[in-house]
Order: sequence, then structure tokens, then C-alpha cells
Amino acid sequence: MEKILLRNVEKENSHKIEVYMKSGGYQSLRKVLKEMSPDDVIEEVKISGLRGRGGAGFPTGMKWEFASQDIKEPKFFVCNADEGEPCTFKDRVIIEKDPHAMIEGMIIGAYATGCRYGYIYLRGEYPIGKKILERAIAEAYEKGFLGENILGTDFSFDLHVHSGAGAYICGEETALIESLEGKRGEPRIKPPFPVNAGYLWKPTVVNNVETLANIPVIIERGGKWYSQIGSPDCPGPKLFPVSGKVKRPGVYELPMGTPLEEIIFEHAGGIVNDRKLKAVFPGGASSSVLTPDEISVPMDFPSLAKAGTMLGSGAIMVLDETDCIVKAALRLIEFFRHESCGKCTPCREGTDWLVRILRRIENGSGREEDLEIILSISETMENSFCGLGMAAHNPVASTVRKFREEYLNHVKSGRCPFRSV
Amino acid sequence: MTLEEFRLEVKKLKNSGKYPSRKSYLLPALWIAEKNFPQINSEMIKIIAEELEIPLVEVEEVARFYAMFHTERKGNFVIRVCTNLSCMLNGGEEILKEFCRLLGISPGETTPDGMFTVESYECMGLCDGAPAVTVNEERFSKVKVEDVPKILKKFGWKG
Repeated sequence: MEKILLRNVEKENSHKIEVYMKSGGYQSLRKVLKEMSPDDVIEEVKISGLRGRGGAGFPTGMKWEFASQDIKEPKFFVCNADEGEPCTFKDRVIIEKDPHAMIEGMIIGAYATGCRYGYIYLRGEYPIGKKILERAIAEAYEKGFLGENILGTDFSFDLHVHSGAGAYICGEETALIESLEGKRGEPRIKPPFPVNAGYLWKPTVVNNVETLANIPVIIERGGKWYSQIGSPDCPGPKLFPVSGKVKRPGVYELPMGTPLEEIIFEHAGGIVNDRKLKAVFPGGASSSVLTPDEISVPMDFPSLAKAGTMLGSGAIMVLDETDCIVKAALRLIEFFRHESCGKCTPCREGTDWLVRILRRIENGSGREEDLEIILSISETMENSFCGLGMAAHNPVASTVRKFREEYLNHVKSGRCPFRSV
Repeated sequence: MTLEEFRLEVKKLKNSGKYPSRKSYLLPALWIAEKNFPQINSEMIKIIAEELEIPLVEVEEVARFYAMFHTERKGNFVIRVCTNLSCMLNGGEEILKEFCRLLGISPGETTPDGMFTVESYECMGLCDGAPAVTVNEERFSKVKVEDVPKILKKFGWKG
């Protein structure tokens, strides 16, 4: 397939504006400012069918329309570059190798929605990305793509990088906004949604890095063209970061709807040492596990939802037959316990209890009734305040359901069967 | 950096016009402290609170909330070993153990000479290079147990 999102990343100095412009970069911005009204841009994005690539899959055109219709001023445009979902490293590739694609996408989005100021909320763990983005923004200012009266029009837009400081919860858009306001990253109740009441309670568009990197090409080649790539109800190219026990871990750009099996066995080269596949988390740490007989599923939002799991960030985590499923689930729930902000009880207590129970099972002192307790905690966590708690129990509950025998084996033998001692 | 220099940096930041709200300068101000001092202590917190005109407690709660801000003394080199799923599956826990064994400390601790802090860290987005380690801003990918002494020596470990 023709590379769209990764079209530039192999080029030498692909992060520099000259290289980006040489291959047609910022032509979409010119086109938008010279030939299109903000409404035209929104319409084109709606036609494309683009859905947010951060995890929720919300239609981007619709989000922009909501923001553009709000009359409060000023409006803010925020790029969510707080890529914190475990085993997700797709945005890092764009940030470091093609920063201008996301910046151009952002400027176009700001024009469409009437935003005057923008921030890239970058996770603190990407210091190299920070330097690259700051340089890229400076280059864009020099060329007149940012600042006052962009390309001689009435449109002005200022853009800055805002560094997070190591909090997964800040990837949740309202927690991100709190953090941008200089507070602890705790989520807000929704509604109101950020498009109406976000940063400083003003209309704020929050879009993921990969989502924005799609925008210039949608403008260049048209929404209709874009809508014909991949799954009809969820079109476009998608970046899939694949890691764990595959021969070739990395970020693969494939059409939405590419079967999971093809991604693991063709693109990522199959399982290390040609072992047997055991399990896959298909959409980051908060997705429910899939077993080897379930991997023919197309990788898009609706298909994975139908399969009882989710696309999320598209991060594919692969386990082979030598890996312990209890240990894997434990590691993920330990992560969520650490990252729970503590604001609501189901998440704060639920993650803690799941860690305690899984630890005792993994250490050989678990009980058979623990499995029912896990499922009951999991059900309660559905009532958490934000998406973190609502999804954090998925890897645990789904592995209990699908690998029940392995859990019971731990309980009955009083030890982890995968440990040599 | 002296505390007076720090105050000047915070003033400069506040006047940069980057944010329409004073409080939004809080994380960037804490980053200046994090990068220039071995720990963010009460004096820096006080300076930030004064300059941004926000209550002390609101500075302190933010300093303590975020994992990358060290309110305890850290070493010159902060070694972060990822132990999240893909790194764990590829041996991240053994790498962490080896760093701790060689330096004689537990995860989260700093060597007595103030050189190294070892942290068991969550995903840093380097999963294609699992198991991954960072030392300050430098990355190390596909680290093997035998690479650990080499990494430490690169940063002045004499052991």
C-alpha cells in the first residue's frame, strides 16, 4: 500500500521544514487559506470519515463543527501528544520524524474552528520530541505559517509546546486540560465537553497527533479519496505499533480494517523463535485480550468493539506460549494502580484490590473464589469517573474469562507454572 | 543555578506571553527547577508560588502529583528502566535487577555519592526497542544484562 502517514519518515532530515516543503508540505495550508472557507474545511473532513486516532474514535469533522459553532472567545486548539498508553509509540514516530505534518494539520484545524491559540501537550518522557517540535514550530514561524496574519490573511494562530511530567491520566482530554491549567491531572465531569468548555472553560479542540497528521493529505487529495481507504465506516490509514514477542516490532502503517493476523504474522514477522502465539492485547493496555482463534478480526473501531475488545490506540501487544497470562495481567493492572489519579473510589480501590489479588495468585497463594471477586470488582469499576477506571480492569477480567484454566492452575499448584523455581 | 537565578528564570517565563493564565506557567516553572536542581524543595516551591501569585499548596500538590518531578533528592543521572508489558516480556525486570545489584540500591533509591537514581518506570514509548532504558535524556534499546555495566560506565560509574 502507498504510505500516507509514513510517507516522509524515511527521508533524510525529514523533521526539517525544507524537506517537508519539498514534498508538497504546507501546500494544503495555502489551499485552505486561499480557496476554502472554514466551513468548507470542516465539510471536507466530514466527507473523509476521519475518526480520532487517540483511542475514542470520535468523528473529527463533527468535533470541529461543534467547536466552530461555539461563540465563546478565544478558542484553543490542543494537540494531545501525551502518548502514554503502554506499548503505544506511533505518535512518537510522527513527532520525531514528521512534526510538520501534525503542525500543518493543527493550523488547518485552528483555521476551520476559529482557534487563536494552540498547545501541543507533549508527554514528559519525550524530551527528544520536545526539541524537535520546538525547532519545527520556530521554522513554521519563520516561514509565516504561524503567528499574526498567516500568509497575508486575517487568520492568526500562535502555537507552543507544553510538557507534561509523567502522568498517564493526562492523556484523558479533560485531565490534560487541567494539567495545562497548571493543576493536578484529574479528569472533569463531561458534559460539558472541551469543545464547549475546555482550557480556561473556553472552547477547546483536542486532537491526537496521528489524527492531525491525516489532515494535510485529506485537504490535498480530498475527503472522498480518503474515505475509500480501509474500512468503509472507519476509513483511512492507521498506524499500528506492534511489540512484545514478535520478530519485527515496530510501527506499521496499514489501512484501517487490516486483519490482526496479517499484522502479526506478515508485517511484524510472526512470533519470536517461531513459538506459538498465546494471546494478544489488540488496542493497548486497557483492551480485552484476544486468543489465537480470534485474530482474524479486522483492526478498526467497530469490528473490535463487536469482538468484545477495542481498537484504542491500536497498540498490539503479543504474548507467546512461554509467557504467563497472570503475570501479564498483573503488570498491566499495577500500571493502572500507579496511574489512577485517586479521584474516584471504583478506580482507586478497584485497581488496588486487583493488584493485591493478582499478586497472591501469581505468588501461589490465591484461592479459587478470587476469580469471582476479580470479576465482581471489574463490574464495579465500570462505574468509574473517567475512561481510565472504566477500562483498566479489561485486561484482568478478560484474561480471567479466557484463560480461566491457567489462573486455576496457579491456584491449585500453589505456584506460577511459568517460573522455573 | 542559584535560587536567585531560578527566580529570574521564573519571572522571564511568566513574561513570555505563552499562556493567558498565570497558573498555566506552573508546570513549565517546575520543569526549570527539576532540570537545574537535584530536587524540587520548599524554597523553589515558595519562589514559584510568589512569582505566579498562587497558594503554596497548589504548587506543592502539583509538584508531588507528577512522576517526573523529584521532590526527593535525585542523582546526577536518573536511570529509568521500563518494566511495562513489552519490556517485561523481553526481560526488563532482569535489567532493573542488574542496575540495582551493581549500584547496591533498590528501585527508587539514589546511590550515596549522589551519582545515580534507579527508577522502575512505566512505558516510555520505546517498545520497539524493548527492553528499554533511559539515562536522563539518552535512550538505550534492546538492552541485555551484560550491557548494564557498559551503560553505567558511560556515565562515570567506577564500580
